[in-house]
Amino acid sequence: MPQFDTHFFSSLIFWEFISFGILCWVLYKFAWPPILNTLEMREQKIRDSLDQAEQNRVASEQRLQEYEAKLKGAAREAEAVVAEAKAKAQRLLEENEQRMRTESQRIQAETTRELERERRKAVQDIQREAADLALVVAERVLGRSLSDDDHRRLAQNALHAVVAGESAGVMTREGS
Amino acid sequence: MENPLHIFELHKIVPLSLFGLDVSLNKAVLVMFLVVGLVALLMTGTCTSGSLVPTKRQSLAEMLVEFLRGMIHETMGPEGMRFFPLIAGLFLFILFGNLLGLIPGSYTVTSQLVVTGVFAMGVYLLSLVVGFQLHGVKFLGILVPPGTPGWLLPLMIPIEMISQLARPVSLAVRLFANMTAGHVILGVLFALTLSGGWMIGWLPFSFTVALYGLEVGIAFIQAYIFTILTCVYMGDAFHPH
Repeated sequence: MPQFDTHFFSSLIFWEFISFGILCWVLYKFAWPPILNTLEMREQKIRDSLDQAEQNRVASEQRLQEYEAKLKGAAREAEAVVAEAKAKAQRLLEENEQRMRTESQRIQAETTRELERERRKAVQDIQREAADLALVVAERVLGRSLSDDDHRRLAQNALHAVVAGESAGVMTREGS
Repeated sequence: MENPLHIFELHKIVPLSLFGLDVSLNKAVLVMFLVVGLVALLMTGTCTSGSLVPTKRQSLAEMLVEFLRGMIHETMGPEGMRFFPLIAGLFLFILFGNLLGLIPGSYTVTSQLVVTGVFAMGVYLLSLVVGFQLHGVKFLGILVPPGTPGWLLPLMIPIEMISQLARPVSLAVRLFANMTAGHVILGVLFALTLSGGWMIGWLPFSFTVALYGLEVGIAFIQAYIFTILTCVYMGDAFHPH
């Protein structure tokens, strides 16, 4: 086999050492450092990114819990506000009712008093009118000679008028 | 029919001598230079930008580095990373030596037993040096497999010594034999194609094409096997049994 020709062994071994040495040196100096650095940088970057993502996840979860708690608090607060508003409205309604009732009772009582006063005044007016009428009648009677019958009839009429006025006043009082 | 082994013949191209030692340049040496130049060209400047988003070439280089780094971590552990430049250089040298040898008219450096032998012996000696450096005389414990009863030691130690000595030999011969055999078969098939004429020549030719594809795969596989065995031997030096 040509491969066992020992004439070339020395040159093959020598140049193999030289060329392999050069190759290893060139790669060691110029090829591996940038590649290994890049790989390490990328690994570091990925590790950092994952750490950052984990931190962000934890933070966002915490924030979500905070927001949920706040939301629940806000809902409770809103319920409380609504309940308070309802209670207030109810109270106002009751107060108004009470006030209206009191007012209407007061107006009723005042109206009754007014009516009573007017009735009394009317009775007094009638009595005064009756007296005046009696005087007019008396004057007329006195103006001419009256017979006994005239006296009697006139007195009778006057009395009737008074009685009629009084019974009208009583009826008015009962009607009110 | 031509001798299929003639493709492995070497002839002096530039006669050189160094201290009486013949260091003449021949085809194999020139291909070695080509391998060094090509690997250096391809591997340097891939990451000059240091970009975290890699280019295609950078991805390829990073993939290679990751692959070799994984191999070293598995066999030697993280402390083996100081041998990364050596292992990576070995892998690339053998791979490109195998691949360039597939170019017609070129020469397969790794089909020279002396070339693979120097690599194998160098790697094996280095593993011994590292082993003794790390563990001292205790490193001789690799000759005694764990759990061996005392009365078997006189038998086991010679067997283990033979197995240890077989390591560099098998490492060297495996690569050399694979490359040689592959090229011999290719040469024979192609010779058959030429001598077969148009009528039946297509049959060996189609085999040649198929085998060529297989040889490309073998170029990768043999480089990988040589490198992983190197890592395993070095790993034994780091963690004997």
